[in-house]
Amino acid sequence: MDELECELREALKRQPAPSSLKRKVMNRRSVTQRRHVRMVWFERIAAALILVAVAGAGVLWRHQDEQRRGEEAKQQVFTALRITGHALNHMNQQLAAHRRAAQE
Amino acid sequence: MTNRIMAFVLGAAVLAAAASAQDSQLPVPSPVEKQLAACASNVDEVTLSKNMLALASEVMNTNGDGKDEAAIHHLIEGLDGIYVREYDFDKEAQYSMEEIEQLRKYYETSEWSPVVRERDRKTGESTDIMVKLVNGKSRGMFILDVEPREVDIVLILGPVSMEDLGTLKGLAFLGMMSGTHHTGPDNARKKDGDQ
Repeated sequence: MDELECELREALKRQPAPSSLKRKVMNRRSVTQRRHVRMVWFERIAAALILVAVAGAGVLWRHQDEQRRGEEAKQQVFTALRITGHALNHMNQQLAAHRRAAQE
Repeated sequence: MTNRIMAFVLGAAVLAAAASAQDSQLPVPSPVEKQLAACASNVDEVTLSKNMLALASEVMNTNGDGKDEAAIHHLIEGLDGIYVREYDFDKEAQYSMEEIEQLRKYYETSEWSPVVRERDRKTGESTDIMVKLVNGKSRGMFILDVEPREVDIVLILGPVSMEDLGTLKGLAFLGMMSGTHHTGPDNARKKDGDQ
């Protein structure tokens, strides 16, 4: 029993920490902090890049969609003007025919 | 905060109402048009609001090599809308004169002044041209052209004149298109810019 007590006392005896322990702990802490800061920046940059890519794709898609709709509208304008031109030509022909008939 | 949201919603509603008011200048198709479309072998329908015309102007080539498109760009600039219908028929007398009269009355309102009224009793052909005058200036043109096998309705809203439309004669590619537009009954085309 005494022997066990002795061993325990010996084991629980206050011992001064090695002089390098504080430096090691502080070093490790700063390395972890730096790694964390780097990670945060990486995440921010990645998020910004994704946002820029999504916004760019949106702008491009919108531009292409407007271009497509504009082309469709342009073709419809041509069709409308062709019909208008046809109607005006027909009117001119009718007027010319009437004029000829009146002269005769 | 609630007030701001209410103001935003109100603002959006006002803008939406203004936008729809802009489009509402274009007429609602008359019931006769449906009857004509049902009998026609080929139908061309074009409805372009101010926004669609602006979109079309944006893609037009107005540089030196696109003279025709530049002329059209100039023609449609400032227009409020274009409403055009073309009905082609396989045979003559597929529509009645009553239908044409109904169509004429549908568009003939007090704000339109007749400019040309042409009738050929032998062939049944007729052309009506009316202009909408606001403070002595032309703010629209309506053409109803009736041929034995074709009925054309043209409604152009906005500042347009016969001189402007006279430039259409010089646009070669419109003439080229006219040779290709006739399609069979199965290929009846319907074009509507606002759909």
